[in-house]
Amino acid sequence: MATYVQIDPTQKLDPFKAVKKIPLEEFFTSGHRTCQGCESSLVMKTMAKAAGPRTIILGSTGCMYVANTTYYSTSWVIPWMHTQLGSSGSAALGTAAALKALMRKGKIKNEPINVIAFCGDGGGADMGVGAISATLTHPDYNLLILMYDNESYANTDIQLSGSTPWGAHTTFSPPGKVKRIMHHRWKKNMAGMMAVGHPTCRYVATMCMSYALAGMNAIRKALSIGGPTFIHSLDPCPKGWDYDPYLSHEMGELAVNTGVWPLYEVEDGVLRLTGRTQQLAAGKIKRQPVRNYLLKQGRFAHFTNDDIDYFQSKVDEMWNKWLVPGVIPFRKEVEADNPPA
Amino acid sequence: MGRLFAIEIIYRGIFQKTLGKHISRSIVLAAHKEDKLGISFGRYGDSPERNGIPAKNFAIVATDEQTLEEGMAKYEPKEVDITIAVDDTLCKGVESWAWYGLQPVNRLLKPGGTLIVTSREQPEALIEMAHRKEYPYKLAIVKGTPSFSGLWVYKDDHTDVRILGAIARILPELFSLESVQKAIMDEWHDELKATSAGKSYERTTSLTVQPNQGNPEEPYRFDFPKWHEMGEGIAIPSIPAGHSFEDPTTHAVGGFRPDRNPTFKKFSTRTMRPVVNFDTCIKCTLCWLQCPDSCFDVTPDGLYDANMQACCGCGVCEAVCPVKDCVTMVNETEFRDNASQWEMWKKDKEGYKTWLEEKIKSHPERSHGFRYRGQYEEQVPEMLEIAREG
Repeated sequence: MATYVQIDPTQKLDPFKAVKKIPLEEFFTSGHRTCQGCESSLVMKTMAKAAGPRTIILGSTGCMYVANTTYYSTSWVIPWMHTQLGSSGSAALGTAAALKALMRKGKIKNEPINVIAFCGDGGGADMGVGAISATLTHPDYNLLILMYDNESYANTDIQLSGSTPWGAHTTFSPPGKVKRIMHHRWKKNMAGMMAVGHPTCRYVATMCMSYALAGMNAIRKALSIGGPTFIHSLDPCPKGWDYDPYLSHEMGELAVNTGVWPLYEVEDGVLRLTGRTQQLAAGKIKRQPVRNYLLKQGRFAHFTNDDIDYFQSKVDEMWNKWLVPGVIPFRKEVEADNPPA
Repeated sequence: MGRLFAIEIIYRGIFQKTLGKHISRSIVLAAHKEDKLGISFGRYGDSPERNGIPAKNFAIVATDEQTLEEGMAKYEPKEVDITIAVDDTLCKGVESWAWYGLQPVNRLLKPGGTLIVTSREQPEALIEMAHRKEYPYKLAIVKGTPSFSGLWVYKDDHTDVRILGAIARILPELFSLESVQKAIMDEWHDELKATSAGKSYERTTSLTVQPNQGNPEEPYRFDFPKWHEMGEGIAIPSIPAGHSFEDPTTHAVGGFRPDRNPTFKKFSTRTMRPVVNFDTCIKCTLCWLQCPDSCFDVTPDGLYDANMQACCGCGVCEAVCPVKDCVTMVNETEFRDNASQWEMWKKDKEGYKTWLEEKIKSHPERSHGFRYRGQYEEQVPEMLEIAREG
């Protein structure tokens, strides 16, 4: 196989050693029309900062398209192009292939250029999963697909997506007096799926921008390792999760510290839990009860104690029963599932 | 032709979406009790709303069907009898996410029309914030802390019905208090809410704002590009890379100030702003790094100065700052300009300290939606007390 795969060099993007080493330059700047405390726009900012000036960004439809590039104005400093909702994978692959061809034909200077396509959870985990999967099987194109996950179709006012957690209040799942829980599905395990399903993909990671330095370094590794890579970012959303925007940073920390959101990377098939998640798994710090996370969000305001206990039991299962805790939900035996009535 | 009434409700996107809907819908339902016809709608361009970015609802009511149809034929009313601003900081202006430039809060008011504001401020403070108008208009205050909640959990602090009571007082031709109370009972089956509307009706007074009163600034505006000036394939220029800048006192050059989107500013998205104690700042970078709006300019001396054209007032900087009281969010009503705090501090450190302490001391705390379960239950009694006692 190796003889057929021609991998072009990537930019050398060493990890930032400390927050003070992060460059001052912004490549995604102010004046986007996002909500107060929007963590996804923080992901855009830090992603562009981590990638640097020689980067092309492709954005599929979602908040980060509509809010950032509307009405003939933008806040992007580096080149950006819109792509259709489900086509972040195809757009990234096509752009990487086009750059390769243009350089081979001598039409543009031969240099490594980062290609990043971002998608929301609706565009990525729901509509775009096929195209992303196809792209991750092409080892000879250097690109990163970054899925910013705010756990709903947030741009169109919070319809539930494949990434919405169990029981959450969305436009499609309003709790009622007779039926309290209107959303019975659990969040899709997107990063795990991409890592398991694409053995030639050299880098898959999860991140949360409450831990900005780690997140930026994951992006830098994904861009410099070569081949197609995938990052799944959990972005607290004050609009859809219904919390005071000043809590945005804390909400991300809570997601990690309650074990709801595991941080890990799979590099050349080797799994490594990272950051706080590593400490939680090693027992160095104790997992916080999910109650602390749920009670701060209006989308879970209808939860009874039974619902909270059930949610906790599912998170416990993820850490205690999964064969690869936090990552792959294979079990040794069938587990009973008893959601509250 | 009959008479057409137009009322606009200006509110903070998402935070007051349900409140705005309750008010505009109930206006039509109350008018219906007097056999008037009406329609309540949100402005198309405001959807999808973003937390904090101003949005509008309209209620159009007419005495007969033909007049209503004429009123509905317009995309949005060109002039209104009443403008309701359910957050007092909206008096500084309204920049929707769907257009260029800032519009005065009182822009659509007819001569002699009334601006109703929910606020705990005195009328003078609100008049000073609002842009001047070429003819007199009236101002009425519904006393109370602006009601903020979120998309899913509504804070029922009676702001909705108190506004309705005030409308009945200001525009009796539209509907009487009795009709308002009937509509409230139909909608909410809540005697207490009907009483709150009645108390508000009794208390509402208005004063006239003259053309020489208010903010004399010309609101910033932009020329729209003509179709033949637009780029092929809807390509638009990106924002230029930012640059270092000069310290006005030491003339040292350094730091970094990003260039910013020239056609969308956050002046009117903000309800609070961070004030920074530069003397205690440890330069940890967190406010700058974690700001989703890249609002912090990095100064030549390595400090972080929140730029007021870009700050949307989310409060994340205060939340992440590890130093006690170094970054404090202060109610936007306390400020009259958007000047650089760092420049003020560089020029006069003692003066800045006094200014800072005064701002922090005087700031009434603002709440921006759901922080924990049970919070609204703690906040509502105070508002009901105001509704009852004035």
